[in-house]
Amino acid sequence: MSIFRDASDYRLRLRSGCSCGAHESQAAHDAAPVSGDNQIRRVVEGAILRAMFPQDEARRNFLRTVGASTAMAAISSIFPIAAATEVFAQGAKPERTDIKVGFIPITCATPIIMAAPMGFYSKHGLNVSVDKAAGWAVIRDKTINKEYDAAHMLSPMPLAISLGIGSNPVPYTIPAIENINGQAITLAMKHKDKRDPKQWKGFKLAVPFDYSMHNYLLRYYLAENGIDPDADIQIRSVPPPEMVANLRAENIDGFLAPDPVNQRAVFDGVGFIHLLSKELWDGHPCCAFAASREFVTQTPNTYAALLRAIIEATAYASKAENRKQIAEAIAPANYLNQPVTVVEQVLTGTYADGLGGVKRMPDRVDFDPFPWESFAVWILTQMKRWGQLKGDIDYQAVAKQVFLATDATRLMKEAGLTPPTTTTKTFSIMGKPFDASKPDDYLKSFAIKRG
Amino acid sequence: MSVISLEALAKRYPKNGGGETTIFENLWLSVNKGEFVCIIGHSGCGKTTVLNSLAGLDRPTEGVIIVDEKEITGPGLDRAMIFQGHALLPWKTVMANVAFAVSSRWPKASRAEVESRAQKFIDLVGLTGSERKRPAELSGGMKQRVGIARALSIEPKIMLMDEPFSALDALTRGSLQDEVRRICRETGQTVVMITHDVDEAMYLADKVVMMTNGPGAMVAEIVQNPLPLDRDRTGMHKHPDYYALRNHLIDFLVSGSRTFRDNIPPGYDPRKPPVVRPAVAA
Amino acid sequence: MMTNNAGRSYVVTALIAFAFLLAWHIGVQTTSSGGPPLDPEYAKLMGATATTGKSPMPGPLDVGAKLAEHLSQPFYDKGPNDKGIGIQLAWSVLRVAMGYGLAVLVAIPLGFLIGMSPMMNRALDPFIQLLKPVSPLAWMPLALYTIKDSGKSAIFVIFICSIWPMLINTAFGVASVRKEWLNVARTLEVGPFRRAFTVILPAAAPTIVTGMRISIGIAWLVIVAAEMLVGGTGIGYFVWNEWNNLSITNVIIAILVIGVVGMILDQALARVGRAVTFPE
Repeated sequence: MSIFRDASDYRLRLRSGCSCGAHESQAAHDAAPVSGDNQIRRVVEGAILRAMFPQDEARRNFLRTVGASTAMAAISSIFPIAAATEVFAQGAKPERTDIKVGFIPITCATPIIMAAPMGFYSKHGLNVSVDKAAGWAVIRDKTINKEYDAAHMLSPMPLAISLGIGSNPVPYTIPAIENINGQAITLAMKHKDKRDPKQWKGFKLAVPFDYSMHNYLLRYYLAENGIDPDADIQIRSVPPPEMVANLRAENIDGFLAPDPVNQRAVFDGVGFIHLLSKELWDGHPCCAFAASREFVTQTPNTYAALLRAIIEATAYASKAENRKQIAEAIAPANYLNQPVTVVEQVLTGTYADGLGGVKRMPDRVDFDPFPWESFAVWILTQMKRWGQLKGDIDYQAVAKQVFLATDATRLMKEAGLTPPTTTTKTFSIMGKPFDASKPDDYLKSFAIKRG
Repeated sequence: MSVISLEALAKRYPKNGGGETTIFENLWLSVNKGEFVCIIGHSGCGKTTVLNSLAGLDRPTEGVIIVDEKEITGPGLDRAMIFQGHALLPWKTVMANVAFAVSSRWPKASRAEVESRAQKFIDLVGLTGSERKRPAELSGGMKQRVGIARALSIEPKIMLMDEPFSALDALTRGSLQDEVRRICRETGQTVVMITHDVDEAMYLADKVVMMTNGPGAMVAEIVQNPLPLDRDRTGMHKHPDYYALRNHLIDFLVSGSRTFRDNIPPGYDPRKPPVVRPAVAA
Repeated sequence: MMTNNAGRSYVVTALIAFAFLLAWHIGVQTTSSGGPPLDPEYAKLMGATATTGKSPMPGPLDVGAKLAEHLSQPFYDKGPNDKGIGIQLAWSVLRVAMGYGLAVLVAIPLGFLIGMSPMMNRALDPFIQLLKPVSPLAWMPLALYTIKDSGKSAIFVIFICSIWPMLINTAFGVASVRKEWLNVARTLEVGPFRRAFTVILPAAAPTIVTGMRISIGIAWLVIVAAEMLVGGTGIGYFVWNEWNNLSITNVIIAILVIGVVGMILDQALARVGRAVTFPE
């Protein structure tokens, strides 16, 4: 029963090995030469090794005992590695082509969704069915149950799933971030004069999920303004599709939500946009493309093809001139099921703010696939800050294991993009800088926190 | 030659709060082949228990019941029961109700055989033409006729009747009594019937078993019917022995059934209750 | 007299429906907004509710037009998340049929066992009493976790919610078969199987079918909620998807359609019930 597997087994694997299994560590994997042919050969060798030794432990022991080159020489005597490498280089045929990807109907999922109607998946030989899911818990369960091969998730979710917070620990990965920015705080019309968070005591605010950037950003914003998010106000988890209805019914005073929820509240005249999330942290990640480690390792070619399609779609989506066309592609009932103008306002950044003004913010939402490991570290600090995560963890190891920056780098290169040269970066949130190498100091610096 | 023999029968129930109630004990009775026996007694004397035990639906606490020289252990097709409340299966037609019994008796019979046999008994009880009706469409008397047809159709050695006509109006009751007497005389059917209707017992029975009141009921005596075999229901009260018999039975029900136990006559043997034949003094 | 009364009741029904539709129509009439004129660029970006004061609640005419649109092409398929209302209904009915069918297969034999054996009745009673009041949807997370398939989980939830009324009614119906009918079977030396099928089953059938009728009603109530939860396909998903779109028109249509199908299912079972009922 794999679902009952002890978490300690997974933690053990968190700290050793690399993504291809041929190197002692991820560092050694990264250090290995990455020239074209050599890289393909390495991928093929890794796949063969994985097929022969499906268990990580056994594979590593084998390699450790005989040495990688001896091992390959031995294997090539019975398996035509050269021929296989050639085949792979020619097309890297996906192991299977019928793939199901789950999404939540919000604009964060734009690359995942648009890749279907705009042909990015089929270009890579995949027949992808993108399925709308009813909520984050459902998307999590359906992905764990393998009904979905990969899914659109909130970027903290794969971290939580991998660590076994809120579910059983299942090794999860984020091969690519989907969007940066693109969220907003929307308040009910009756609060249009309360623009200072200090006036918000007693409010009921909604976020889409406990393990979401929305939750952490909202808490951060409130705490920076001296409001304790647990003591002074109520934060509820409400699925995005229910948010506008709840706002209209005055069950909640506002929300920090993904779009098109914010714009839809404005469109229907029930709320106004208080601020965009980019005003808190310009360039913050939000949603992610997530897949189980099992999918990544057992069908590496399918995974690679899928990721290539997503990365290309993301790159396409990041160009402002494509946004109108994308809005038309993803607005119909099969995808977001929203009026085109709402989606267009979100994607183009020319939008009504709900208070009578038209704002122009071309970078209201942007798309950038690169899964910075420092994003993961920041999320982990916030999980710890608000008591979701207890005890000590190895921030860097978890970040590396879940946020697959290396794969993204490789595939971005293949797609003709320029990936960053490092996997961490520093950034600042509401003017306060964050250094991913000192997470504990960062955590200590907050006045309002739990535990 | 007795076809039924009840030997040392007793029925006891546990009492609320310990101990037990004895409905009857040490009860003996034998019925000869072809005899029509009525059991008369007040409510609570255990006559229904005796009949149900005979049918195999109830078990006596003590004693054995021998039918045709074999001890019975449960219900059987050699005994047919006519229930007080007709007990027809309401979702089945008249034909199906009778056929249900026939096919139980002869499981290997073809459908046509079963139906023709059932038809014969439906005709016998005068229900020709009502075969496709359901019980709810029949009058009380007709329902009981179906019950009789069903009981007869399996050619039982013994027919057991539990106050079969008590729920019917007087006219219907009378004509059914005629019917039953005619059929039983024609077929030589052995019958044990429970009743508390004295006139019914006098008309139908060859022997009337008089039971005292319960608890602790016993067979006080067995009354031989002095009336001629070819008696008819409307004319029998003109027979000279009629009132002697009737008064004897009524006297017993009014007082004897209550006082018998306190003044048991000398020489009374529960194994052989006295047999009397009331008649005008010669 | 009867037909006259029935005719009158139809007229009253029609009048009530008309009055309701009229009140609805009047109630959602656009109220002109008295606010200051809006910047035209801004107004273009806003919905009709916000700009013209159009009620967010659709009127009967909107619903009628949309309904006609749905009915004109009930089986279109524009991708995994956008299918015609006929396809969605078919999915829901299929799920209900499977979960309910399984429940029939389990509940009726088990109900027979419980009804015929007072010992089993007492032994199983605590379980039934404990599980019966559990809200069907409370099973969903457990089902998703153990079955690992959302479609099968929805079927399981239907199964678990429709089993109780059938089980209890079957047990009750079997236990309360008239003693004299059983005695008839006993005196005729009818074997246990023949007795079960020719006496107990027909005798208990009206009670069993009543249980089945209650169950199908519950199953149909629950499928909508279950599909809203798991998504994918089905009329419940349709409701959820249209809620997501804040399309009250489509939600009202879904309510109508759900009601009609529920009524058809109920009447089908009522007809079965009449067929097995016997007058005494």
